[in-house]
Amino acid sequence: MARHAALETFGRSGNPVFGNKFNQSQGFVGSERMTLDGTVNKTGILLGLCFFGAIISWNIPNPFLMVGGALVGFCLAIYTSFVPRNAGITAPIYAFVKGLFLGGISLVLEMQFPGIAIQAIGLTFGTLASLLFFYKSGLIKPTENFRLMIFSATFGIMILYLVSFVMSFFGSGIGFIHSNGIFGIGFSLFVVCIAALNLVLDFDFIEQGAENSLPKYMEWYGAFSLMVTLIWLYLEILRLLAKLRSR
Amino acid sequence: MNSIIFGLLAAISLFIFFNLGKVKASNKQTNRDDRINWGTPPWRKKNPSSKRDSSSGRIIEGEAEEINKD
Repeated sequence: MARHAALETFGRSGNPVFGNKFNQSQGFVGSERMTLDGTVNKTGILLGLCFFGAIISWNIPNPFLMVGGALVGFCLAIYTSFVPRNAGITAPIYAFVKGLFLGGISLVLEMQFPGIAIQAIGLTFGTLASLLFFYKSGLIKPTENFRLMIFSATFGIMILYLVSFVMSFFGSGIGFIHSNGIFGIGFSLFVVCIAALNLVLDFDFIEQGAENSLPKYMEWYGAFSLMVTLIWLYLEILRLLAKLRSR
Repeated sequence: MNSIIFGLLAAISLFIFFNLGKVKASNKQTNRDDRINWGTPPWRKKNPSSKRDSSSGRIIEGEAEEINKD
C-alpha cells in the first residue's frame, strides 16, 4: 500500500517528462530506494545505448532507421512521461532508438559541415558538466519562479515548433526560426539556453527524489528525463552550429 | 585538432558528470526555504507567506483591555 502511495506521488514539472505529484512528505517505505549513485549509473547505461544506436545509424545510413527512431522515440517519451513505473523498460529502448535518429541526422550534417558532430557532442557534455558543477555548488539555485520561467519558455518553444511543423504542410512556415540570419541564430541561442537550464531542473528533481527516498524505478525515470533534455540540447546545438557555419 | 579538442572536452565533461553527479549537493543548495516543491505543478504555485499572513493577520498582539460602555 505504501508502495502504491509512493508510486503515485509523481506529476509534471518544468521539464515535460516530470510529473506534478511529487510529495516531499511521503517517502518510500521499502527496501530499494532511489539514490544519486543509481541514477548516475543508469544515465551512463542510457548514454551508452544512445551511442550504440548512433554508431549503427552512422555506419549504416538509412532514412527508415532515422525517421523510425524519431517516431518511436517520441511515442516512448510520451508513454514514459505518463507511466514512469515502466521507465526501466522504456527508457533504454528510448535511448537506443533516439541514438538511431541522432546518428543519422549527425551524419547528414557532418557531410555538409565536417567536424560538426564532435563539436556538438563536446559542447553538450561541456554544458552538462558545467551546469552540474554550478548546481551542486549552489551557484545556481532553482526556485519556483525559475521553474515557472523555464516551463513557460519550454512550452512556448514547443508550440512554436508545432505551429511551424503544421504550417510546413501548407508550403509555408515561420521563416526566421530556421534561417541563418541574425534572428535565426538569436532564436537558436535562446533555445539552447532554455534547453540547458532544463538540466538544472533535472538535477534538482533527481536530488530531491534521492533525498525523499523515492522508489528504485525513479532512478530510471530521472535518468530518462536527463536523456530527454540532453538529446534536445544536442539537437539544438547541432542546429545552431549548422546555422553559424552556413553563413 | 578540432576533433581532439572537442573529444577531450566531451571525455573530461563525462568524467566530471560521473564523479560529481554522485556527490550530494552543497548545504547552500539543499538548505533553502525557496526550494522547488515538486508536489505542485509550476502553474499552481503555493505562496506560504500569504497563507501565513492571512492566518496570523487576525491575531492582535498586546494586552487585552476592558471596554467601558459608559
